[in-house]
Amino acid sequence: MLEIRHLTKVYDDGTVALRDVSFSVPEGEFLVVIGLSGSGKSTLLRCINRLIDPTEGEILWNGVDLAKLKGDELRNTRRKIGMIFQQFNLVKRSTVLTNVMAGRLGYTPTWRSLSGQFTQKDQQRAKDALERLGLTDQTAKRADELSGGQQQRVGIARALMQEPEIILADEPVASLDPVLAHSILQHLERLNKEDEMTIICSLHYLDLVQRYSTSVIGLKDGRIVYEGSSEDIRKITDAQFKSIYGEEAERMGGIIGELATEEEGAA
Amino acid sequence: MRTRKTDTEIKPSLVPPIVAAIVSVFLPGVGHMLARSFGKGLTLFLSFVSMVGLWFWRVKVEARREVGFIDQFTKSIELLPIILVILILLVLIYIYIIYDAYKTAKDRTQVKSGWLWVLVLISFFILGWQIGEIQPATLVKDAKNSLPLLSRVLWPWDKAIYRPEEYLSGYAEVVIPCTEGVEVEPLTVNEGDPIVSVNPVCGNLSEIDGDPGTTLTMTGSGFKPNTETEIWWEDQVQNKFRHRAAGDYVKVTTDENGSFTVDVIIPYRVIPATNEEGYVVWKLSGRQLASVGEPVASEELKLSIEKMIETIFLGMMSTFFGIILSLPVSFLAARNLMSANKLTLAIYYFVRFILNIIRSIEPLVWAVIAIIAVGLGPFAGIIALTIHSIAALGKLYSEAIESIDPGPLEAINATGANWLQLVWYGVIPQIIPPFVSFTIYRWDINVRMSTIIGMVGGGGIGYLLVQWIRLLDYRSAGIAIWFIAITVAILDYVSAEIRARFV
Repeated sequence: MLEIRHLTKVYDDGTVALRDVSFSVPEGEFLVVIGLSGSGKSTLLRCINRLIDPTEGEILWNGVDLAKLKGDELRNTRRKIGMIFQQFNLVKRSTVLTNVMAGRLGYTPTWRSLSGQFTQKDQQRAKDALERLGLTDQTAKRADELSGGQQQRVGIARALMQEPEIILADEPVASLDPVLAHSILQHLERLNKEDEMTIICSLHYLDLVQRYSTSVIGLKDGRIVYEGSSEDIRKITDAQFKSIYGEEAERMGGIIGELATEEEGAA
Repeated sequence: MRTRKTDTEIKPSLVPPIVAAIVSVFLPGVGHMLARSFGKGLTLFLSFVSMVGLWFWRVKVEARREVGFIDQFTKSIELLPIILVILILLVLIYIYIIYDAYKTAKDRTQVKSGWLWVLVLISFFILGWQIGEIQPATLVKDAKNSLPLLSRVLWPWDKAIYRPEEYLSGYAEVVIPCTEGVEVEPLTVNEGDPIVSVNPVCGNLSEIDGDPGTTLTMTGSGFKPNTETEIWWEDQVQNKFRHRAAGDYVKVTTDENGSFTVDVIIPYRVIPATNEEGYVVWKLSGRQLASVGEPVASEELKLSIEKMIETIFLGMMSTFFGIILSLPVSFLAARNLMSANKLTLAIYYFVRFILNIIRSIEPLVWAVIAIIAVGLGPFAGIIALTIHSIAALGKLYSEAIESIDPGPLEAINATGANWLQLVWYGVIPQIIPPFVSFTIYRWDINVRMSTIIGMVGGGGIGYLLVQWIRLLDYRSAGIAIWFIAITVAILDYVSAEIRARFV
C-alpha cells in the first residue's frame, strides 16, 4: 500500500506543481494518472522515487515515509521502484546489455560495477529480462541503433532488473505510435498481473486509459480533480472530462486532451 | 531594438538652435547633448577632444628639439606635412559639429550626419597611421636587404647537410734574388697531388716606388677542373699571404684538365728578403678548396632534430598530465553534477573561479614562473603547459559534461545507483566523443605552444630558434622553422584523422 498524503511541491522559481495531493495505491493496482501537460503528473511520479524532493507531505510505503529518506536508505528504497520514461532515457552510446545491467547498479558494490563484473546471477537475470521482452537478438547493439519501441522495451528490461515492487511509468508511450503503445502497455499489464507489481503510469490516450487502468486519478494545476475506478473512466461524462482538461477541451475520437503537442514543461 | 518614433512623440530640443551652436563653439558635442541627442553628443565630444589631444602629442613628438609651440608646429609640418592635413580635418570637423548642433536643435529627425562620422573616422585612421609608424614603403624599399636573409630562412638546407672541405694545393720554390750556384731541388710530389712549376725559378722582389719585381710564369696541373684557385706566397719565415695584382687578390680558374697558367710578379716585402747567405727561398702555391668525402649532417641539423624531439615530447607529456589532472577537476566543475546541495555548489563555484584565473594567465608567463621554481629546461615547459592544459581542458570537459542528456542520468539515479556508478554508467559513455575531440585539440595546441615555450627558456626548439635569430644565424633559424612547420603540419593531419575516427 502506497499512500500519498498532502503532497505539495513548489519549485525554486515559485511554480507550484503539486498542491496538497492525497491518494492511496493498493498493491497490485494499475493506476493511471491523467492530466494536461503542466498539470503535475511528472512531478508526482518523480516525487515518489524522490528524483524530485517534495516540499511538503508524506509518501508512506510499507510504513516508511519516503519523503524523509536520505543517502543509502533512499538508494535502497529506489531499487524497489522501477521507472520508465517517455524519452526512454537510455545511454545511447552504450550497448543494450550495458543499459539493462544499469538496472542492477543499486544491488552491486561500487568496485564491482565500475569494473563491469556483475555476478553470474545478475547476468542470467539480464538474459531472462531481455528474452521476456523479445530483445535477445539486440543484446550487443548500441542503444541508439534500436527503434523507439525496442528502446522502450530496453527501458522496461532495465526496470525489471531492479526486481521492483512498484513501476513508475512517465508517459511511456507518448513518443510511440498507437500499435507500439499497446505492445508496451501489454508488457506493463503482464508485469502487473503476472508479477503483481504495482504500476503507476501517466497516459493521455483515453482508450488506453480505459483499456489498461484499474483506477484513475486526474490532475489539473497540481490538484486532484478526478478519482475513479476503471468502470468510472469508461463512463466518464463530458463535465468530468472538462474539469480535467479545461473548458475548451473536446472529446476527439478516443483521445483525451493533450491539445498542445509540446513536451512536458517544468512540471 | 529601438523603433523610430513618430514626429509627434519627439521631445523638442532643450535650447534654441543658435544656443546649441554657440555652446558647440566652446564645447563641441555639448550642443548636441542639449538638443537631446545625448549619445551622439557625447561620442562627438570624446572623439573631438581625444583627436585634438593626439594631434598636439604628435606635433610635440615630431618636433622634440624645438621650444615654444609655434616653432614646434612649423617644424613638425616641415618634417611631416600630414600633420597639417590632420589639422585641416580637425577644423572641418569642428565647423561641422557646430553646424550639426544647430540643425539637431532645430529638428532632430531631419539631421543626416553621415559625412561627419566619415570625417571623424578618417582623422582617427590618419592619426593611427602616424602613431603606428606604418611605413609600407619600407617593405619594398628594404627588400634588397631583407630578401637574402629571407631566402636563407626559406632554404636553409645547405647549412643542414654539407661535405667536409679540404685544401688541395701544390707549390713551387722560388729563390730570391737569383744567386749563382743556388738552385732549388726538385720537389717530390705524391701521386695524385697537384704539381706547380715556375719559370724562371728565381727573381727579384718589387721595390717600393721602383722597379717591379721579376715576372714569373706559374703553371699548375693536376688540380680540380673548372675550379677557382687562389695564389699564395709563403716567405722564408713561413708567413703566408695571398698574391695580389693591382690591389686585388689574384684568382685563376682551372681549365677542364685541371691546369692553369698565370703570370706572377714577385711582390714587395718590408722584411728584407735576404739573410747571411744572401738569398732566401719562398714558396709559391696554388690552392683550391675542395669538398671531399660523404655529405654529413651539420651540428645545427642534429641540434634541431634533438630539440624537435624534445618539443614533441614536451607537448605530449604536458597533454598527458593535463588530461589526468583535469579529469577529476572537470567533474567538480560541472554544474549538473554539482548542484545537489549547497556544499557541492560551493565547490563548483570555487573550482570554476580557480580555473578561470589559471586560464587567464598565458603559458609563457607560467613558464617564467616554473623556471624560477625548477630552473631552465623542458621540465619548466612541461609544468607551464600542464597548468594551462588543466585549466583549459577542465573547462572544456566540464562544459561537455554539462551538455550531456540528463535523461539517462535520471534513469540511472532511479535504479538506486550511487554517485560513482552514475558517473561511470551515465556520464562517461556520453562524454567520450567530446573528450577525445578536446584532448586531441589540446595536444595540437600544446605541441604548437611547446615550440615557443623555449623562447623564455622552457625547453624545446624555441630556445634554439631565439638564440639563432639573435646571433643573426638565419640559416640555422630557418632549419628550426622548417622543423616546426613540418611537425605542426603532420600533427594537423594526424589529429584530424583521429578526430574523424573517434567522433
